[in-house]
Amino acid sequence: MKNQLNRRDFIKLAGLMPLSILAPRAGQMLGSPPLSGQNKNVLVVVFDAFSARHVSMYGYQRDTMPNLARLAERAVVYHNHYAGGSFTTPGTASLLTGTLPWTHRAFEPKARVAARYVTRNFFSAFQDYYRIAYTHNGWANILLEQFHAQMNELVPWDTLLLRPYFGFVLDLFKKDIDNALVAWTRNVDIKHYGYSYSLFFSQFYEVLRDQQYTRLEKQFPRGIPSTGFADNDFLLETATDWIGKKLPHLPQPFFGYFHFLPPHGPYNTPLEFIGKFGSDGLKPIDKPFDIFTEGKTYGQLLEKRNEYDEFLLYVDREFGRLFDYLETSGLLENSWVVFTSDHGEMFERGIDGHSTDALYQPLIRVPLLIFEPGRKTGMDIYAPTSAVDVLPTLSHVTGHNIPDWTEGVLLPPYAPTDPDPNRRIYMVKANQNDGSAALTRASTAIIKGHYKLLYYFGYADRGMDELIKLFDIDADPEELVDLYPTQKDIADELLKELKTKLDEVNKPYL
Amino acid sequence: MSIINSKPQLYTRQGLWSLFLMCVFPLHFWTLILVFRDLSWLIDRSNLWDAITVASYGMIFAFAESLLVFLIAMLLGFLVPKYWDQKHRIALLSSLILVTALWAMTSQLFVLLNITLPAWFINFFVQQSHPLRALYEVGLVLVTPTVLIPTYMILKSDKVLQVVLDFMDRITLLSVFYLLFDVIGLIIVVIRNV
Repeated sequence: MKNQLNRRDFIKLAGLMPLSILAPRAGQMLGSPPLSGQNKNVLVVVFDAFSARHVSMYGYQRDTMPNLARLAERAVVYHNHYAGGSFTTPGTASLLTGTLPWTHRAFEPKARVAARYVTRNFFSAFQDYYRIAYTHNGWANILLEQFHAQMNELVPWDTLLLRPYFGFVLDLFKKDIDNALVAWTRNVDIKHYGYSYSLFFSQFYEVLRDQQYTRLEKQFPRGIPSTGFADNDFLLETATDWIGKKLPHLPQPFFGYFHFLPPHGPYNTPLEFIGKFGSDGLKPIDKPFDIFTEGKTYGQLLEKRNEYDEFLLYVDREFGRLFDYLETSGLLENSWVVFTSDHGEMFERGIDGHSTDALYQPLIRVPLLIFEPGRKTGMDIYAPTSAVDVLPTLSHVTGHNIPDWTEGVLLPPYAPTDPDPNRRIYMVKANQNDGSAALTRASTAIIKGHYKLLYYFGYADRGMDELIKLFDIDADPEELVDLYPTQKDIADELLKELKTKLDEVNKPYL
Repeated sequence: MSIINSKPQLYTRQGLWSLFLMCVFPLHFWTLILVFRDLSWLIDRSNLWDAITVASYGMIFAFAESLLVFLIAMLLGFLVPKYWDQKHRIALLSSLILVTALWAMTSQLFVLLNITLPAWFINFFVQQSHPLRALYEVGLVLVTPTVLIPTYMILKSDKVLQVVLDFMDRITLLSVFYLLFDVIGLIIVVIRNV
């Protein structure tokens, strides 16, 4: 059932805010029970394309996240957490539905989940909460729009964009925003590319835009943070302030999902962070080119890595500020706060970004921190965990039934038993596979214990029908030694398990 | 009262249509070239249907820009002395549109073809006390003849005028074809947005 507040309803509700503040006390005075200890707010904060391999507290040489490291002393920190996919659509859908891509079926860019998951997600699991969501990311927004009927408030995507001139594109082409924005960008963004579809208007547009952006461009010499489309610029601090000020005024308990684009490229960090890492002498391991290599040189990858790491400092500063907002408003004492990402990013083997079909650790290992209401000491969890575990865990700790359709398990330390040492964690990327068809071309991975098996199939255009790699990710976290030729028995066992799983998930689509 | 009725000596419907088609030609031509150039990465980015949709938006934007350029050109026509007949007026405005479009294309081609200006040329500007002003001055020196010479030729030579009008006739057919693409693009965009 659609339960969306319009502006008039919201104003009416806002008028009741003083009453809502007094109500619990009045209730106590009348003898009604206080709010249950489990009935807390939930805030899921996602930073896009955030690789755990670039976080200092996970062992990275650079101090990219000083604020997060400080705050982690009060959080449960998951050291081996994996995304469900390796780019926005499958990764976000896995987090939101608690199911793997081969189950929710959002394989392709801009895809939607299978119809049955429209009512099987975080927002449906928290029906008794006020549910609000926002994202900068257009592809993630497609999923949020799909779940819109399960929310009280989906904050429009353009609310937190600077959007000086492209408002009409958003208004006119509401149902096909992504394509319309690509076309608009290619038409007008001559400054970025040096050429554009438009011969005249693009020149005029640049003059107009430059006038408006002069001040900001001094603050962001690499460019203003952007979703990659023309006029889709934004400031993360604006989003932090907006959310920090909005949350205390939401009806409680609330479930909030906020998905920010940084550190997703372009890595346009503010002036204050430029050059912080560029000359620190870091020399990442020069890994051999992969079959999926994009041919980037070591120097090019290092330059991108530096920019990414400097962009992380911006993310860290803003997460710190958001945390301050939560603390100052008192929400922290009454909220579960989750910090995570939808997928990672990589700068090795000739590949940068996350458009690759490879599934190496930097692409799939993402941060996960859970700030529990009232927790004052940190805890480190080293058992492998998955994005699909977040939904059942938050359902459980807030007193909701664990949905039977989720594929995740309760995260430690909230599970009643110790983690299963034989648990299998899966990752899937099948961005050219129709969601309604069996998987015929995909990158898949299974992690069990300290082994990780990569199984690529259907890449005939790359001269292979299938490719298998095996790594010991404890002994060889950089994934330099492929054990497949020497430990075939282990590889065969994992491959058999993975193929059995693939047969199972493909069965309904054959 | 319409401009056409009140100023019959300035434009006829046929004249305006020809002028509009002359605006359509370079803008659509350029959009199509770049759309075809983008096609492979657009398909890689998502799929063929999305790539076709992006191309459709591109055509619609090109149509809108053509309309704007046409309006500006038409208004510029009012600055042309009234004793020029319509043929001269349309030929002149069309040539101005083409020349301006060619210069705009040239500026983008430098990036598209990775052409770098010779070092001596860049050094010349660097050594000036006001490099930007010098750049504009050289630009003016280059552009002005390309505007003035066609203007002069069209006005003074009936042969040149006829060549321009013949050229316009041929281009007109191509422009109508581009407008057909716009209609197809519009249908696709409507389908994607309903």
